[in-house]
Amino acid sequence: MTRVVTCRTLDGQVIEFVDEVIGSGAMKDVHFSPDRSYVVAFYKTAQDFQAKERLQMIAGKYRESIFDQVGGDYWQNLFCWPTAVLEHEGRLGLVAPTYPRHFFFEHGSRNGDMLGIKGKEKEGKWFAAANLRNRFVDPRELGTWLNHLKVCLLLARAVRRMHMAGLAHSDLSYKNVLVDPSQGLACVIDVDGLVVPGKYPPDVVGTPDFIAPEVVRTSHLAKDDPNRCLPRRETDLHALSVLIYMYLLYRHPLRGAKVHDLDDEQRDEMLSMGEKALFVEHPTDASNRIKVANAKPTELPWADTAKLPFTITGPYLSQLFLQAFVAGLHDPALRPSANDWETALVKTVDLIQPCLNPKCEQKWYVFDNSTKPVCPFCGTPFRGKLPVLNLYSSRKEGQYRPDNHRLMVWTGQSLFLWHANNLIAPNEKLNEAQKKRVGYFVFHQNAWWLVNENLPDLMDVSTKTPIPIGGQLELKDGQQILLAKGDGGRLVVVQMVDA
Amino acid sequence: MSARRLPVYILLDTSGSMRGEPIHSVNVGIQAMLSALRQDPYALESVHLSIITFDVEAREYLPLTPLDAVKLDEIQVPQAGATFLGAALELLIACVDRDLRKSTPDAKGDWRPLLFVMTDGSPSDLHAYRQAIPEINKRGFGAIVACAAGPKAKQEVLRELTDRVVTLDTMDSAAFSGFFKWVSASVAVGSTSAGVSGSVSLPPPPPEVQLVL
Repeated sequence: MTRVVTCRTLDGQVIEFVDEVIGSGAMKDVHFSPDRSYVVAFYKTAQDFQAKERLQMIAGKYRESIFDQVGGDYWQNLFCWPTAVLEHEGRLGLVAPTYPRHFFFEHGSRNGDMLGIKGKEKEGKWFAAANLRNRFVDPRELGTWLNHLKVCLLLARAVRRMHMAGLAHSDLSYKNVLVDPSQGLACVIDVDGLVVPGKYPPDVVGTPDFIAPEVVRTSHLAKDDPNRCLPRRETDLHALSVLIYMYLLYRHPLRGAKVHDLDDEQRDEMLSMGEKALFVEHPTDASNRIKVANAKPTELPWADTAKLPFTITGPYLSQLFLQAFVAGLHDPALRPSANDWETALVKTVDLIQPCLNPKCEQKWYVFDNSTKPVCPFCGTPFRGKLPVLNLYSSRKEGQYRPDNHRLMVWTGQSLFLWHANNLIAPNEKLNEAQKKRVGYFVFHQNAWWLVNENLPDLMDVSTKTPIPIGGQLELKDGQQILLAKGDGGRLVVVQMVDA
Repeated sequence: MSARRLPVYILLDTSGSMRGEPIHSVNVGIQAMLSALRQDPYALESVHLSIITFDVEAREYLPLTPLDAVKLDEIQVPQAGATFLGAALELLIACVDRDLRKSTPDAKGDWRPLLFVMTDGSPSDLHAYRQAIPEINKRGFGAIVACAAGPKAKQEVLRELTDRVVTLDTMDSAAFSGFFKWVSASVAVGSTSAGVSGSVSLPPPPPEVQLVL
């Protein structure tokens, strides 16, 4: 029989844990509570006073500043945040929620789980490397490309929230982010290493693959050298960009073929991730391209940047990738913010359309802005009528300006309040009423229809015909449709692609 | 994408004294290590494993093989026999020279190989052993860890090869499984968060293992 230990947290709550280590990381030993609703993790090594104080701030003030606010519950799903600190038999520990079930493999690996990973944590690396996806991970775990976009969106949102609170994670990597691509969910874990500028310095430099070039470049300097770069908000932004690139393209943005030191692979690694880091898809410098001839067959087609360039992620994300890996790679101030990523991902979700090939592995792709759209993943062309709605919004009564935002129409596509009004953003601030669909699209008897479910102002501007709630409107090329009046109200201009 | 390989060489003592429970425990330990490594996506992408066994002679028991393709039969031990660790090192040098990929202007070469040596005695071919050590040092291993298992293992001799010597007091399955768990954790350590202080270090050994420095 295993023993159940009862003790008090530093703020006086009574907690219990089973005296059996269920998992052991680099830093901590983890125990379940008897009902498995939370875990208690103890540091393996003695922690100094500052570490203890920081942990208390993270479980206390910083947690409250994010969770104890209107809409704070939203973040419960995006973070696994420590709730209390304790000391037991001389060891410092923390209490944190148990990871939700969907972050553990349900099916695991292929061929009846040949690797035996069923029930293990879904570490992001499994989903971010083409070879692992193609050879090992059970296809039921892989999820669609749309779900990968959602994973990235939640990730960007979580990082944005931390940065808004003045906190930096300091060690974002696929080890510290749980993902569930089968449902499009993500959760940031291991937030106990948070960096607060000027208050709590970082104690890790990060995880290989995600460490910002300036941190790698200066890692040989002493910790207190003024030229030494350590993790902070800007390095989180590099890690976030790398994560997004890897979750959408299943390859690393800086790991190309260029060799900087023929004899010393450690130095080569330092240079290619640090001082000489170069985007594998740099628009003008092709010297670090991935060599398709060197790639394993199971890394294709993802290793082939000519076949699947970053531009398949659409215009909004492409621009940010250039900003992150060309302009901002060695200039941290130019890196896109987490908020930039979140906004671009939201807009990209609206640009996505289903692939007509039922066997397509990715199932969804971003409209390529052509009159003959083709799925970049499986090569299946789109056939039929494809309405594209261009969104405009009003700043002044009667004046509508382009939002650089489009909505693709497919059967079952929904219209939400944030499409009808540009002052509403689809994020944690939405209330329950705002989350409800206000209209949808359906293809019926060779025509596309918009069905009005809750748009009181809906009107076909070309004919000045109001469409009542419950009514419908046929979409036509060049048509102007008013979705909502008033401040931020949106006007739609329809383009019809006929392929 | 042109990911570097991480070659891992394991030298295993199969001399007569390993018969019975010790070799059985080693077999169990290696299988457990293989499963643990295969559950680590980083290891699965990079680790290539080779096993050299040595008793009256040294054999390339498992040529350098990608982790996911490794299939191991139970390692057997002869009736009796000496401990030709020197011969094993010579064979290792030949294997490393043959296997290791250098960087070329077009392709990234291998990571520095890791070497784990496990013995329960001391080299019967001490002269050959000492001759091989400078050659081993020239091969630039990323880390060399020697494991002295049981009461008869000679730590001092192993320390000529590496300053990382761990001892197992007993030769039962708990001790060996602890050791091989540690080996897999050491192999995977490259993928985890690195400390600000900078030194790349092995994880602390499990409680059953004593680190002799």
